[in-house]
Amino acid sequence: MWQEVVSGLDSIAVQFDPARIAPQEAIDLFRQQLQQPQTATATQTAPITIPVCYDEAFALDRNWIAEKMGLSVEALLQWHSRQQFTVTMLGFMPGFTYLQCSEDIVEIGRLPKPRQKVAAGSIGIIGDQSCIYSFSSPGGWPIIGRTPIQTFDPGQDQPALLSANQLVSYQPISRAEFDIIAKGPSA
Amino acid sequence: MTLTVIKPGLQTTLQGAPFSGHRHLGMPAAGAADCLSLTLANHLVGKAPDAISLELTLDDAKFRVERPTGIALTGAATFLRINGDNRSLHELVHTQSGDEIHIGPADKACRSYLAIAEDISAQSLLGGQSTYLGAGLGGFEGRALQVGDSVQWIEGSASVTTGKQTPDSLRPVLSDKHIIRVTAGPEIPALNSYSQEIFFGRKWKVGMRANRMGLSLQGVPLEQETALYMQSAPVFPGTIQCPPDGEPFLLGPDAQTTGGYPRIAHVIRADRHLIGQLRPGSEIQFVKITNERATKIYRQKLSLLAPWLGTINLW
Repeated sequence: MWQEVVSGLDSIAVQFDPARIAPQEAIDLFRQQLQQPQTATATQTAPITIPVCYDEAFALDRNWIAEKMGLSVEALLQWHSRQQFTVTMLGFMPGFTYLQCSEDIVEIGRLPKPRQKVAAGSIGIIGDQSCIYSFSSPGGWPIIGRTPIQTFDPGQDQPALLSANQLVSYQPISRAEFDIIAKGPSA
Repeated sequence: MTLTVIKPGLQTTLQGAPFSGHRHLGMPAAGAADCLSLTLANHLVGKAPDAISLELTLDDAKFRVERPTGIALTGAATFLRINGDNRSLHELVHTQSGDEIHIGPADKACRSYLAIAEDISAQSLLGGQSTYLGAGLGGFEGRALQVGDSVQWIEGSASVTTGKQTPDSLRPVLSDKHIIRVTAGPEIPALNSYSQEIFFGRKWKVGMRANRMGLSLQGVPLEQETALYMQSAPVFPGTIQCPPDGEPFLLGPDAQTTGGYPRIAHVIRADRHLIGQLRPGSEIQFVKITNERATKIYRQKLSLLAPWLGTINLW
């Protein structure tokens, strides 16, 4: 019936074939299905620590974010690396990960104009919500750092590194450490 | 070796059916940006409507066939030449070993489709074979073709018999001025009433930021009622979002699966293939219609195409 079922953080959308089903029929059916929810226990995978480099070359918006949060840049980075995050969903692009911060913080908001290119591994934050860019792509999240870890590998059975409900914390690393990890194990 | 790339053009990728059923993992649709031109090309060489073919973008391109085959070209290209001789678009053309195929640049619109009678070999994943450039997946090594690449096909998989031509009445008119029908998006109230009038009342121009993922739209900047911090929500090819700077953008086949800017409108399925023919500078007038009308238009379009193409889907 549904060609796609996609959830957002507080919404859900289905795609259907309008050659086979009329919009009102689809709406009625969808409403009916939502009234009979199927419960499933979400599986929680082991917590993971992700290395992050806060170097200015990677943390493109660290000044902007610090100002919005009323912190110094140093205090912002220390604060970020002490937080625990929970994966809320994957979406946007393969392996793109949305995370929820355990602490309530002020809304930072997205950039007024999205960037045409955000580097793979970039870590964004807009308030309670944080994200990890899996591939280089356009994007509007303010960027606080970058991880050298690949979060999506299409060659694996489970191509996505992270999954919903997983706990994530960040380990600060230097630019030199970033370069070593990014290069991968030497032969 | 079967098809050798001599000049790849701006962006030539293997594209066919979109990926389906994996958007919840973040996997976009990808697939042909202009599914109607793809379907017309595949029909001429006797293949499934959504079979993999070569999608060319704006620029001219050259290939050499290393085996005899049948080809067909549809879309925006200004010419098709085999060893320098002009041949027609929208027609089955037989080629011999060593023939050079020269596909002309687009002087209007954007994309062309080169279908080959044999089944083209492409990377398979998640039930599809189209190229998704954003993650380097599918198609030919997940990327656009480069000089010297050899696109392989499966010998003996062709079912070509007679010379076919697309009926004149079904050949899409190439233009850089479009009327595109849309339905209102869930966050349309985020725009003040004046901006809603502007969005549906004025013409928009495609900006320089234009690719398979999305196209920026230039016009009078739209004003939002209040700065809206919305939660990331599902988006699809054809969704039009409006960031706070008031410059909306239209999502293409490689659209991300979720986005956080207000979804102000959505291109109806019947018109979505036009997105693949938009280029920087194209003019668009958006016309708002109801869901019911959109469904009717789509069904009418399919029945208009059915006598020639049989039962097909557009996406």
